[in-house]
Amino acid sequence: MDKIKVTGLKKSYGSNEVLKGIDMEVGEGEVVCVIGPSGSGKSTLLRCLNLLEEISAGKVVVDDYDLSDKNSDINKIRENIGMVFQHFNLFPHMSVLKNITFAPVELKKMTSAEAEKQALALLERVGLSDKADAYPASLSGGQKQRVAIARALAMNPDVMLFDEPTSALDPEMVGEVLGVMQDLAREGMTMVIVTHEMGFAREVGHRVIFMDGGYIVEEGTPEEVFGNPKHERTISFLEKVL
Amino acid sequence: MRIQKKMTGFLVLLVFFFSFMGSLVPSAHAADANKTYVIGTDTTFAPFEYQDANGDFVGIDMDLINAIAEDQGFKVEIKSLGFNAALQALQSGNVDGVIAGMSITDERKQTFDFSDPYFEAGPMMGVAADNDTIKSYEDLRGKRVAVKVGTEGATFADSIKDKYGFTLATFDDSSQLVDEVKAGGSVALFEDYPVLAYGIQQGNGIKTVTDKEKGGSYGFAVNKGQNPELMRMFNQGLANLKNSGKYDAIIAQYLGSVDAASGADISGEAAVKKSRLGLIWESMPAFMTGLGYTMFYTIVSLFFAFLLGLLFGSMKVSHNKFLRGIATVFVDVFRGIPLLILAFFIYFAIPQAFGFKMEVWMASILALALNAGAYVTEIIRGGIQSIDKGQMEAARSLGVPYGNTMRKIILPQAIKVMVPSFINQMVITLKDTSILSIIGLVELAQSGKLVIARTYQTFDVYLTIAIMYLIVITILTKIADRLERRIGRG
Repeated sequence: MDKIKVTGLKKSYGSNEVLKGIDMEVGEGEVVCVIGPSGSGKSTLLRCLNLLEEISAGKVVVDDYDLSDKNSDINKIRENIGMVFQHFNLFPHMSVLKNITFAPVELKKMTSAEAEKQALALLERVGLSDKADAYPASLSGGQKQRVAIARALAMNPDVMLFDEPTSALDPEMVGEVLGVMQDLAREGMTMVIVTHEMGFAREVGHRVIFMDGGYIVEEGTPEEVFGNPKHERTISFLEKVL
Repeated sequence: MRIQKKMTGFLVLLVFFFSFMGSLVPSAHAADANKTYVIGTDTTFAPFEYQDANGDFVGIDMDLINAIAEDQGFKVEIKSLGFNAALQALQSGNVDGVIAGMSITDERKQTFDFSDPYFEAGPMMGVAADNDTIKSYEDLRGKRVAVKVGTEGATFADSIKDKYGFTLATFDDSSQLVDEVKAGGSVALFEDYPVLAYGIQQGNGIKTVTDKEKGGSYGFAVNKGQNPELMRMFNQGLANLKNSGKYDAIIAQYLGSVDAASGADISGEAAVKKSRLGLIWESMPAFMTGLGYTMFYTIVSLFFAFLLGLLFGSMKVSHNKFLRGIATVFVDVFRGIPLLILAFFIYFAIPQAFGFKMEVWMASILALALNAGAYVTEIIRGGIQSIDKGQMEAARSLGVPYGNTMRKIILPQAIKVMVPSFINQMVITLKDTSILSIIGLVELAQSGKLVIARTYQTFDVYLTIAIMYLIVITILTKIADRLERRIGRG
């Protein structure tokens, strides 16, 4: 059973078409890494999966919910889709603990006590137990991103979307964030990751999608895409980044 | 739906507030059968009725009606309503009589019964006390002359200006006429005789060189065909006072010597001049009351401006084109209309067009709130839009609805950005309340004007008022700075 099924997805801003017809599936527990040059539409694709971008044409189904159907309750669907952003987007006026408990409490999924208990467990999982009372401004980039992951996990999502989660980090902090993501993958979380970390994609990804110019140009196992790329655009891209 | 609910809530609040305020305004009581008559009068028309330094109503009209009441053995309750409002109250029976320096005219006789004239007014020319060149109307040729809009003086000056070849400068306020002449902008002024005489008696630096012209006479009025016994007592009492010399004493108290009442030579030397500091000190209670009202109107207006700003500000950042359009029109309209015009429109134009009566305080709060509301809308819009889009996306991606995200994530951060602009708006609105003195709102600037109308001490009074604004605004800004720093830290 596919967790995510995208058919004929198109997205335009005015006359500028960014996604020109995307078909893809993500199975349960699968980790899919999306790579490609900047401007290829990979972030837009990811943002269409939880409707942060409106869909111009085509169909996106996540967890049996049709996102392209105007009648679906998008807030309900989003509760099941966690998202981690390039720039963390932590709430600066709330403590780390409050950042994590905010959504479950606000949406009445849990009492504050339950949410706090869960938040402390999540913080332990991302290795930040001692930062519960800290404010985001006092954290390093890597710590912020790990809190952001914990915040997304607090809603117990079925799917996690990562939008270039390590691009804004200093090199020495990339590892701690990728480590947390690797643990998640191992636990069987369904993940779609837009990334520039080719090593991570190769090691953790079950499948790699290469995008360019609004199309999926090539996809396959990491071994296929990295070891034996078929399309010349893939070859020239990989030559530049590897 | 949400907006609608907010709007309804706001209206309910508005209605509640106004009915609350309404209950504070004393309602007219029916006249006591035991010979207490309710008498309406103007707010300020020195020397006939005005507030003295203690805030008590004094003047020729007040002393006269009280003396007549004493003479005839009835009681009076004075209601200071403003000239037009007093006449309306008389027609509707809320007051029994009106004494307000009112000229007896044929037109008014259609609606009211008038007493025997109790004062002969008529226009008179005044020149600066140190002016030796203007001795008659002939000397005005080629010069400029100051008049007050709507007075007999203005009508008279207009009727002779071609004959004597002078031009007119029109002002709103008696004290402005005096300042104009003393500053040399005009060589002379034409003013109704009692007003001129009173000013000279207060030592305003004006003298008279010509005789009083013939003009209207003032009378006490009751509603046509009603209260004949009150009218009879007034006429009888007036005759008694004139016979006993009490009438002359009252006139002399306000206009100087008895000779002056006939319009001959008026001199200001008899007036006991208070020291400048003494005058300010004496007027301080009135200024403090005015300041209190200024603060009150500022706070109430800003409260409503904030609600308006919140409503239209959220509409401005919404994704709905229609709501955005409404909010844009609101801002453009109320930011585009000068506050003064807005106040005139709300106080004079709308009630006349739709045939209802609006209180000055209500019109003032409306005008201030709508004006400030337009600016607060922009402050709130700017504050919200200054918050990184990622904040909205992060919360929405967790499944939190737009409204909750706005309230819990965006607004708490945006408010920090808005605070300096809010403080700025508060200072502007506090100063802008002074503009509403033009429609007669009692606040700090207006209490200054009232004192000037009585004393003609323009420089000292406006200096004091300016310093008071400065002190209050400085204090408020300092408090706000501290608040801002605390919000910034927390």
